Amino acid sequence: MTLLSSLALLLLVALSSLTSATSDYHESLILQPLPQSSLLASFNFRSNESQESFDERHFRYFPRALGQILRHANTKELHLRFTTGRWDAESWGPRPWNGTKEGSTGVELWAWIDAVDDEAAFAKWITLTQSLSGLFCASLNFIDSTRTTRPVASFELMGDHPASSNLHLLHGTLPGEVVCTENLTPFLKLLPCKGKAGVASLLDGHKLFDASWQSMSVDVSPVCPHLGECSVQIDQTVDIVLDIDRSKRPRDNPIPRPVPAEQLVCDTSKPYHSDDTCYPLESTAEKYWSLTDIFGRTISGSCPLAEGPFHEDPVCLRVPHDRQVDVAPGAVETKKPDGFTRCFTLQPSTPFDLTIPEQETTSQVPLDEPVLRAERTIVGHGQERGGMRIIFDNPSDTNPVDFIYFETLPWFLRPYVHTLQATITGNDGLRRQVPASEFIKESFYKPAIDRERGTQLELALSVPAASAVTLTYDFEKAILRYTEYPPDANRGFNVAPAVIKLGSHDAANGPNHPIYIRTTSLLLQLPTPDFSMPYNVIILTSTVIALAFGSIFNLLVRRFVTADEASALRAQTVKGRLSGKLVAIRDKIKGKRAKTE
Amino acid sequence: MATPAALPPLPFNPSRVRSYVLRLPLFTRLVLLAIIVFWLLELQTVWSVVQWGSIIPEEAGFGTMYRLNTYPFIHLGFFHAFLNVLALTPLLERFEAEHGTLTAVALFIGPLSTLPGGAYILIEKFVLHRNTAVTGASVWVFLLLGSEAIRTFKSNPYFSLGPYKIPTWTSPLFACALVSILVPNTSFLGHMCAILVGYLLGLGALKVFVPPEKVLRWIEGKLNLLGRLPHYVSVDQKTYGRYGVLPTTTTGGERGTPMSFLGSSQPAVRKLRSNPHFLFVHLPHILSFICIVAGVVWLLLLPLNDYSRQTYISENALLPGQVHAYFSGSEQHVFRGYKKELEGILASQTEDGQEGRKDEFTPAYVVISALQSVLKAAGLKVATQNYEYTSSGITHQGQNVYAIIQAPRGDATEAIVLVAAWKTVDDELNLNGVSLALTLARYFKRWSLWSKDIIFLFPPDSETGTQAWIDAYHDMQPAFVQPLPLKSGALQGGLVIEYPFDHRFESLHILYDGVNGQLPNLDLFNTAVSIAGGQMGIGASLQEMWDHNDSYEMRLQTIMRGMVKQGFGYATGPHSSFMPYHIDAITLQPKGEGWQDEMALGRTVEGLCRSLNNLLEHLHQSFFFYLLMQTNRFVSIGTYLPSAMLIAGNFTIMAIALWLRTGYFQQNTGNSPVEKPKLTEEQQATPAADEREPKTNNTQDPATKNIKERQLALPLTLVVGLHLLGLLPLYIFNNISHTYYTTATYTSILANAVLPLLLAAFLTHGLTTQQSLLIKSFSLLILGLFLSTLATLNFSLSFMIGLLCAPLSFVNRIKPQTITGPLRYVLAALSLVLLNVLSPPVVLLGSCAYFGVDVESVLTQAAFGWDVWGVWTQVVVWCVWWPAWVTGAALVGFSLF
Repeated sequence: MTLLSSLALLLLVALSSLTSATSDYHESLILQPLPQSSLLASFNFRSNESQESFDERHFRYFPRALGQILRHANTKELHLRFTTGRWDAESWGPRPWNGTKEGSTGVELWAWIDAVDDEAAFAKWITLTQSLSGLFCASLNFIDSTRTTRPVASFELMGDHPASSNLHLLHGTLPGEVVCTENLTPFLKLLPCKGKAGVASLLDGHKLFDASWQSMSVDVSPVCPHLGECSVQIDQTVDIVLDIDRSKRPRDNPIPRPVPAEQLVCDTSKPYHSDDTCYPLESTAEKYWSLTDIFGRTISGSCPLAEGPFHEDPVCLRVPHDRQVDVAPGAVETKKPDGFTRCFTLQPSTPFDLTIPEQETTSQVPLDEPVLRAERTIVGHGQERGGMRIIFDNPSDTNPVDFIYFETLPWFLRPYVHTLQATITGNDGLRRQVPASEFIKESFYKPAIDRERGTQLELALSVPAASAVTLTYDFEKAILRYTEYPPDANRGFNVAPAVIKLGSHDAANGPNHPIYIRTTSLLLQLPTPDFSMPYNVIILTSTVIALAFGSIFNLLVRRFVTADEASALRAQTVKGRLSGKLVAIRDKIKGKRAKTE
Repeated sequence: MATPAALPPLPFNPSRVRSYVLRLPLFTRLVLLAIIVFWLLELQTVWSVVQWGSIIPEEAGFGTMYRLNTYPFIHLGFFHAFLNVLALTPLLERFEAEHGTLTAVALFIGPLSTLPGGAYILIEKFVLHRNTAVTGASVWVFLLLGSEAIRTFKSNPYFSLGPYKIPTWTSPLFACALVSILVPNTSFLGHMCAILVGYLLGLGALKVFVPPEKVLRWIEGKLNLLGRLPHYVSVDQKTYGRYGVLPTTTTGGERGTPMSFLGSSQPAVRKLRSNPHFLFVHLPHILSFICIVAGVVWLLLLPLNDYSRQTYISENALLPGQVHAYFSGSEQHVFRGYKKELEGILASQTEDGQEGRKDEFTPAYVVISALQSVLKAAGLKVATQNYEYTSSGITHQGQNVYAIIQAPRGDATEAIVLVAAWKTVDDELNLNGVSLALTLARYFKRWSLWSKDIIFLFPPDSETGTQAWIDAYHDMQPAFVQPLPLKSGALQGGLVIEYPFDHRFESLHILYDGVNGQLPNLDLFNTAVSIAGGQMGIGASLQEMWDHNDSYEMRLQTIMRGMVKQGFGYATGPHSSFMPYHIDAITLQPKGEGWQDEMALGRTVEGLCRSLNNLLEHLHQSFFFYLLMQTNRFVSIGTYLPSAMLIAGNFTIMAIALWLRTGYFQQNTGNSPVEKPKLTEEQQATPAADEREPKTNNTQDPATKNIKERQLALPLTLVVGLHLLGLLPLYIFNNISHTYYTTATYTSILANAVLPLLLAAFLTHGLTTQQSLLIKSFSLLILGLFLSTLATLNFSLSFMIGLLCAPLSFVNRIKPQTITGPLRYVLAALSLVLLNVLSPPVVLLGSCAYFGVDVESVLTQAAFGWDVWGVWTQVVVWCVWWPAWVTGAALVGFSLF
């Protein structure tokens, strides 16, 4: 018995050593305090599976559920995003991962599917969305042909693909989808440690979905670090921005009641300051926080699968080195040479906590200036027409920004592209009307087909230094059929956010590291009938018609016979039966004649 | 019968109805009269007739025995009375015809009303132990139905439905069941009692109550009832049933047989129809006049409980007052801090700018930057907007400061606006309001439950700032208004806070009128009233009705004030600018001296924001068209619209009648056009003239009464030209400098006096009667068309203009042939003077004098409204009212020449 088990163990070790070259699992958590008492927490989980074992359906770190779906749908590369809230670039600086792991509000999905032609690719795409819908408990199955686009320039392949493959890119967005715990649970189940150990143990639905901004992503792509040695890599991230004050409120008493008067921080230098008059002073000191306060729990030790000699320290904190940080015993702190990052190791099955006491700040982690600010709003009023206004603001004083602007519009929003106009506002604040072609270098436009396909607009734009370009175009709102309105409360129709892809000129990022920015989603008010009225009318008319029809139909089909005829019919004699048949035939002939006449 | 070619024969012969009504016997008439009289009595509110005369089981006693006789006469409303009268008349008429008037009186005053009533009281009180009051003549209806059914049963016992045989005496039971299912609030038990007594009557069980025929004859003979009472059915005359004997003796000398009525009524109708002068000249005038009176009376009825409704929250998502408001405690310290800070800056600013523009306060750069720093410190996104408007030579400029709380998990698709203008509607410094908004901004930022962004807007005044901001928010701003650098999603609602004084307040005054008479959704108003009253214990008032005792006069006054504001269509506060963009907004003004402090106002605003935050959809459920008469009572559009429509309809009726008249009347030689009306007038004056006269008239008519071709060119040109000419004063009054407004008003009065006379003098030569009638017809047609369309958009404006134009339906060219000599000139001059009193500029002057305001300021305000708010009251005045008025005055003017 012991021999057998030790043999099996040996075999397992041998096997694992064989595969370790291509199959592994990493996880990391980066915490970065942001201005306005926010905290950015970036969770990243990455696992590999060699292409051979993936093809043989031999899954180790790679989630089997997802792997089977991808194989079934011929999907070579998959990107799935769940996002809520908006990133406040003005206060929080550039986006985590340069926006590449972020989606538009709601759910966004794009994938490269290996198929012979467009139709086959779309069939596989539908298979994919239906399966993912079940896996992630999201309404991904609502990505139908009207919401599916085929972007031309906005998305690039992340992985290494054989040149022979015939890949089709399909993209779909559900801007109205509400991301919540039912999406988080299947997300965590894809992880090898299932959120029970490692940094994923911090992910608690209550805290995660109380965040000011939150984004979950799943990326699957084949990577070939060495020639011929390919593996399928799944990269899952969770990025959240938590409000420290709000997260620190106890769970049983989350109401932000007015603080007691003696705890109010006041500007005592004001001449009118007194016991009942207080000009509030926002404290400049960095707030006290700890992982337990923020996430409601500690990291319950490291994930055993993520251990190994090559692994970096999983938890990193980006605060200045002079900031005091207390950690749980057993954790080893490593300070990185950049002056702002320190990382900690985790011990297996030992809870890890991290505490930052309140301290007057002397230095801040520098935040980069965002490269481009974009704002997209619906203008105009009324139920018939409207306009779209997109503002691109280039804050840089020296460099122009080149980017690709991609938007998909639902078919019931009909843009008039000929009304596309551009205005430029320089540093002087003067607005000038200029031809749009001055900024638009290339454009790709695919008009909508009613009830079949949405509008797809991709523009290659260039905004000069220190200026803001405003693009406007008019649109018309279509009138929907009454069955096309969603059955729930009519808040309006969501229009998916636009995606902006900046080709990075930054040498450090390399040519292949684009920056993505997404605008906020929009709410489109369509002419909506008062549904309760048709409902009442339908109910009433149906009742009346049913009553009238019922009685008239009864009169028409019932056979009227005289009483003695009836008694003869009722008598089960040959004569009675015969006369019954006769009467039936007579009625038939009469009826027919009546019809033909 | 030769009928005029213009009149097709009527499909329905009203003479039959008329003869039936005229033949109704005496007791039936009296009963119907009593029912109508009691219904009219109920219209007053002092004495409740229903309470007095209906059967109330609990109050049954010897003192209230009279109720057993009165209840059949009393009804609960018009429809109740109408339907019962309709049902009762044929039954009662037949009963009386069969049994005679005296028997009917004896039975119906006696047992036939007391027996069912008594039975009802017994069962209701002692068996069911309930206390449901009953009233109405339906008891007799069912009683008579019951007795009829028994009689039918005797002759025709069953009617068969398929294999089933249903006894005919059950038919009243079916009717009773059907009525109690279909008609709400009917007493099933009461009807059943009546049917029961009806069965007894039909079976002859009540014969004991019938007075013996001998007695009846004696009474009849003694009192000579037959001779004295009209429509009396004598004991001898009675028919004993449907198939009874026809009356063989015609006793009554003055009362003819029904046949004679039929004979005499037909010529009357024919006379009416062959009398075109009455149909085309008098009838339209009568109808128009009735329309106007009915419209005014209708409006006066609205404050009654029967025509108005209690307000209610229609949008369930609002849940007003369901959340606890936490805005209290140390937030008040912060409020005082902000207030002192702003006070200090304002004091230093006025010290600096000693040149003393006390009334012309504009928040300076320091104040604006203080606002910005407070909002930034609270963690909001802040932006500013400059704007400049020029109207009647006056420049209004300012800078809006606004800040956005981004909803913590929101996606920037929806937003709520909170406005605190530096100056209130009454031009007072709104320091407390601004400080309160700042404190609320800091407080709201801490909450994570916002599903919509909250925008705090601080415009420098209540007139221009919000307008500039909301225009720019939708990118519809004019050239001198800056676009907004910072935006959020679709605005779902707006609240304006005012608090211009330092003492505590007693109640909240809610302003809700928008530009051009648009109103916010009633749900928003109701939510504010319900949160203020129900949750915070703050009373609410509206339309400056400080002590509203809910009486008829107060309600009417509230409606009138609301209508005046709606009719003028100007912005009543910063909230008004939101309405054109379909954003519902209200202004909250604290009023009076009480014990509510600024924190209570803050909690009210918090509650309102929480309610708006709950909304899943844009407010759409409740009413957008309403007249409020009290904070909790309103009239909806379906109820009040007929009022303005009737008034607008009077013009259309007159226009159509004139059009028909111009095509129908024959113009023979020089003096005959007036000959004919005169002739018919004579006939009218002597309606009892023998039938030969109109007949001969008719026989010669087809030859002479040809359908006349209308000469349309001149009337059309004139009316269209006058309407286009209205653009001239419209342009002048909106574009000249404000200093010339008084001069321009007097000039226009002068021009108004002269223009109709000039027109008359130029056109009178060769103007036929037909043309003058056509001019009036077209003018009134356009007026009626405009006003009835306008009534659906701005009811009050349409109603007011309609009333002011009402005389135009009745003015006419006084033809020299009808009234001759100096009397004509005197009459024409008099009516011209009267018309001039009702001309637009004179009405403006008059109302300015009445309200004690300056004409110049009113016109400046109007031009400002036109330029900034987009008010189109002026268009209605100058392009609808004024041309109609000039046409009317010119028609009178024709009679002078």
